[in-house]
Amino acid sequence: MASVTLQSVRKNWGSFEALKSLDLHIPDGEFLVLLGPSGCGKSTTMRIIAGLEEVTSGKLLFGQEDVTNVHPRRRNVAMVFQNYALYPHMTVAENIGYPLKVTRVDKAKAREQVLDAARKVDLTDYLQRLPKDLSGGQRQRVALARALVRDPKVFLLDEPLSNLDAKLRVAMRAEIKHLQRTIGVTMIYVTHDQIEAMTLADRIVLMNKGAIQQIGTPDEIYDDPANLFVAGFIGSPPMNFVTGEVVDGVFRAPGVTVPGSPGRGPATLGFRAEDVTLAPAGAFQGTVFEVEPTGEATYLVVEVGGARAMLRTDKKHRPAIGSPVAFDVPASQCLFFNPADGLRIRRPVPHLQQVTA
Amino acid sequence: MTRAGSKWITFALWVLFSLMTLVPIWWMFLVSVKQRADLFGKPSFLLNIGRMTWDNYAIVITNPAFQKYMLNSLIVSTANAALVCALGLLAAYAMSRYRMKGKDNIFFWVLTNRMAPPAAFLLPLYLLFTGVFSVGEWSLFDTRIGLILLYCVLNLPFAFWLLQGIIDGIPAELDEAAYVDGASTWQVLRTVIIPLAGPGIAVTGILTWVFAWNEYLFASTLTSVNARTITTGLAEFVTVTGTNWGQMAAVAMLTLLPAALVLALVQKHIVAGLTFGAVKG
Repeated sequence: MASVTLQSVRKNWGSFEALKSLDLHIPDGEFLVLLGPSGCGKSTTMRIIAGLEEVTSGKLLFGQEDVTNVHPRRRNVAMVFQNYALYPHMTVAENIGYPLKVTRVDKAKAREQVLDAARKVDLTDYLQRLPKDLSGGQRQRVALARALVRDPKVFLLDEPLSNLDAKLRVAMRAEIKHLQRTIGVTMIYVTHDQIEAMTLADRIVLMNKGAIQQIGTPDEIYDDPANLFVAGFIGSPPMNFVTGEVVDGVFRAPGVTVPGSPGRGPATLGFRAEDVTLAPAGAFQGTVFEVEPTGEATYLVVEVGGARAMLRTDKKHRPAIGSPVAFDVPASQCLFFNPADGLRIRRPVPHLQQVTA
Repeated sequence: MTRAGSKWITFALWVLFSLMTLVPIWWMFLVSVKQRADLFGKPSFLLNIGRMTWDNYAIVITNPAFQKYMLNSLIVSTANAALVCALGLLAAYAMSRYRMKGKDNIFFWVLTNRMAPPAAFLLPLYLLFTGVFSVGEWSLFDTRIGLILLYCVLNLPFAFWLLQGIIDGIPAELDEAAYVDGASTWQVLRTVIIPLAGPGIAVTGILTWVFAWNEYLFASTLTSVNARTITTGLAEFVTVTGTNWGQMAAVAMLTLLPAALVLALVQKHIVAGLTFGAVKG
């Protein structure tokens, strides 16, 4: 097992910059999730770590060892591919044992290790089958077992759950998390599904257009987004945004007046659906556009401040479409962003406020 | 037109085309089992079992020249097929998997080697084989190795083209998974690519084998005594004293036999191999 460090890693495809100088340190034993929309560079980052892509410039270290130019077969990483990449002409046992066969592990010992790995993912009854005779979930487990069968330095998973149905995905998610916790291996997991990222990760690296947008624990990313992209990407439903202007510490947009706002000039106010409380004299005044009951809650789509926002309300709440709605959001849950560059406008830290006062 | 009517037309066309390909073979067989006297009698499509004879075959098979030609043909075709498959597979793998500049141009350029009529190369090749590719007394002219190499040059573009389609049909993730699992390029080829491309390689081997087996033009020009193949050996039955039609037909039938056998046995794989990659499994 080893830590993984990327130092100013860049990757260009011709004139297209797939990765713009990436710096990232992944400590030994961490479950790190690379999250972002398609084309953000997360898979490229993973493939660089695996050695399947060469870097244009920069360095990659496993522990203290520079592996930038080491062939993938000598990196001792295990990888689970999105489509599993099982060898169709080999049985489950041969698939799982393949890494041992090519590295010429003693046959008796290899058989034991294959059994052991198969046991970990509950596949012992299927060892003589071919991949085509397995279900999606079983194939997934074969791919996991093939990665588990040796003792890799780093475990890479490239959207491993995206080909499974919703129910199986939830079950496998828990299995993968449990597995990582038990074996304590460094795991790097690529996904575009923010729920997967939130539930699995020790830390999330949120990427967009070849650059890291934010690195943090799921809570940090959710509660304290660094910019508009992060705020809008994480959370379901996504964060609501209202654009307006801050004058003398008060944010104003049509129907919205929020005092105690930082900065001045144009600003985008963000708040989450679940932080809303309905209040007749609230700081936000809008009209109900649509009502979406989900069973556990009722979401209101509200037109407010020239935009549409989602509010989470009581499951029994059923307002008439077009009726006025007023609500409040606690000051601490109102986040402000600069609409020009998307960056957070933070409130001054309290003790600094005192100094400047 | 009614459904039944179109079915009959299909059937009639099918019979017509079958006759067009099979009648010459049948005719050749008839000639090979006729007695010399019957050859110039009233022609008939029917086999006269009472006057049938296997003498032509017996004479031909025990003829040492025929045996040598047959052996030459077998050696040249088999070595050519093996060499072409090995080289074609490596080239196709490199072409399919590695990023390189001007890849499409290389592919097209390789294929253009098959576009010129082979006869255009005949004279230069004859001069090269007799004069240039020689060491002392020895030259490539009239050697089996010369023919093998020449057929390789002719067959490689075809094999390359066929195999590349087959390897393109194997997902590159499998190679990548194997590399990450610790396999070397050779191990990837041996344990992943070759087993999966098996049917395609077999088809390539068989087709190039048949091409070499049937080749006449170059074999007749670039060999004389030692490396003469069975197809060119056929011509020896046309002599100044007349043509020995019966023996010639027997030789032709024997020439046809190995290719027909091979093709009949693996016909299913040929169809599978040629359509491999067209539909992803």
